[in-house]
Amino acid sequence: MTQIELRNVNKFFGAVQVIKDVSLTVNDREFVVFLGQSGCGKTTTLRAIAGLETVDSGEILVGGVPVQDTRAEDRDIAFVFQSFALYPHLTVYENMAFPLRAVGTPKAEVDVTVRRVAGVLQISGLLKRRPSALSGGDLQRVAIGRALVRNPKAMLMDEPIGSLDAKLREEMRVELKRLHVEQGSTTIYVTHDQIEAMALADRIVVMHAGVLQQVGTPEEIYTNPVNLFVAQFVGSPVMNVCDVVVGDGVVTLAGAAEGFAMPQALTQQLQAKVTLGIRPEALEVVLEPSAGAIGAEVHLVESLGSHDIVDLRIGQALVRARTRAGLVSGPGLRVYVKADASRAHFFDEAGQSLGIRV
Amino acid sequence: MNPEARVAQQTLAPTAPRAHGMSDLAIRNLFIIPTIVFLIVFNIFPLIYSLGYSFTDFRASSNDPAHFVGLDNYRTLLSDPNIWSNFTITAKYVIISVTGQVIVGFGVAMLLNRNIPFKGLLTTLLLLPMMLSAAVVGLFWKLLYDPSFGIINYAFGLGTFEWLADPKMALYAIAIADIWMWSPFVMLLSLAGLSAVPKHLYEAAAIDRASGLYVFFRITLPLVAPILMIAVIFRTMEAFKTFDLAYILASQPTTEVISIRLYKMAFQEWQTGLSCAFAYIVLVMVLAITNIYVKYLNKVKER
Repeated sequence: MTQIELRNVNKFFGAVQVIKDVSLTVNDREFVVFLGQSGCGKTTTLRAIAGLETVDSGEILVGGVPVQDTRAEDRDIAFVFQSFALYPHLTVYENMAFPLRAVGTPKAEVDVTVRRVAGVLQISGLLKRRPSALSGGDLQRVAIGRALVRNPKAMLMDEPIGSLDAKLREEMRVELKRLHVEQGSTTIYVTHDQIEAMALADRIVVMHAGVLQQVGTPEEIYTNPVNLFVAQFVGSPVMNVCDVVVGDGVVTLAGAAEGFAMPQALTQQLQAKVTLGIRPEALEVVLEPSAGAIGAEVHLVESLGSHDIVDLRIGQALVRARTRAGLVSGPGLRVYVKADASRAHFFDEAGQSLGIRV
Repeated sequence: MNPEARVAQQTLAPTAPRAHGMSDLAIRNLFIIPTIVFLIVFNIFPLIYSLGYSFTDFRASSNDPAHFVGLDNYRTLLSDPNIWSNFTITAKYVIISVTGQVIVGFGVAMLLNRNIPFKGLLTTLLLLPMMLSAAVVGLFWKLLYDPSFGIINYAFGLGTFEWLADPKMALYAIAIADIWMWSPFVMLLSLAGLSAVPKHLYEAAAIDRASGLYVFFRITLPLVAPILMIAVIFRTMEAFKTFDLAYILASQPTTEVISIRLYKMAFQEWQTGLSCAFAYIVLVMVLAITNIYVKYLNKVKER
């Protein structure tokens, strides 16, 4: 039973505040992903939980016990480094046995544990090799193995698959998820890759400039982003964001002749000028004029096989829509676009979500 | 400008020969050939010539021609208990001196390998003893060890203890001076080795709950071992052929290391042939010891 709790944690590097008043509770057996751009403070927060960084104020509780003044050695938390940080002079076996031997575990027990974990990670054949003779994926498995052998209170992972190539990353992602389901330890995982975050997390914590932006399940983050940062950080392609003029039952993009039809119940709640956020898949492109569809000019077509991403010019705005593959033949074509009002987001000038939905 | 045009311009310019540097031929003639000639005249030739002398009864002080005596010189030397005692003294000296240098040098390097103010200045100051001439260091320590006015006896309240005249202590006294002089060398190499250990390994070890001692023996030491081995090789070879310090500091029978015996044999007793044979025995020994180290070093470096 390990719950990790951060209470008003602050951290400075010189004059720069890298963690700003972060409070968060990670429940037992939960898989939480810290998501954010590089330099947003997510790795520093993770290192602070592990005890590799000190915090300037605030409390960190592991299993209800404050640990912010305890050394990393005494926190009993496993950490998988982005660089793997395997001991280069030790074999895979010795690397994995290190955390057990360091605390004087009996030899037989070390052997049994290492071989069991190696079996789980499918690296039993590599135990005699040194890290320098391993591929990226195997290094990764060993690094995770070193964390798994000791049944830690919590597992922290700092972009553990960030340095692998795309295909291997996908494989390892599935494997990590499977491992978490099997082992069930409380896990905090840091990444800048929103797809990784969506795929792995029970809950995502979006960070920006040292501040928690939003904490929620992947669905919540995706469907109800609290601000423009979260809205644009999560989802690919990026959510369209345009300044709009709100009329009665119509929302018009700046400089456009006609506007998207929206329910009056929705438009009545909105001020005259807001920012509209709409994901590419909430825009429907049709080739013939139809009710509620506004004219647009095709600017660019990206064919992605399973679907196309079409850049459209509506008035002065450039928006992207997702269409079925091959629907739009090429640039210059005149098409018509409908917006799904139930998937429209509205933000105020400061970029905060107005929370007004159909 | 395209590359060809640039080359063409350089070729036409009056400074063209300098811009192109020296030809391989010029480098060979100016640097490599003189070096090889120098090596042959002053190293290779005497080496071979003395090997020849080692099989004769040649004496450089007399006009008698050299007679071939076969392996007699080697037989004489290897069956002489006095020579073996010289070897024992040398071995003892090498072990004390090199061990001391590794402990002191590595220890100081560990202390310096952190963020401390004036680290650069401190390191440079600590390197000073190494930069002194061994003769100077010898005279220096002779004063420090002086029974009546030496600061060592004064500092430790040892009265008029005779460091250098005491048959048991003299060798230790020389070794201490050598440790003082050459620990900085080990420190310098250790420092390079220590700073090359990636910081994230220490973080990983902290996460793995390893104690300070465990980290030292399982991570720091193995990772610094290759470069430390190089320091040990150099210091062992040097200590093995120590002459100056021992010659200046003491002249006890208990401090007669092989190079002093060799010197006496060659230039006081003028037994040139015999001393050549002796020098060859020493050479083979140093080579053998070095080889063992190099083998170990390669093993350590394999990973």
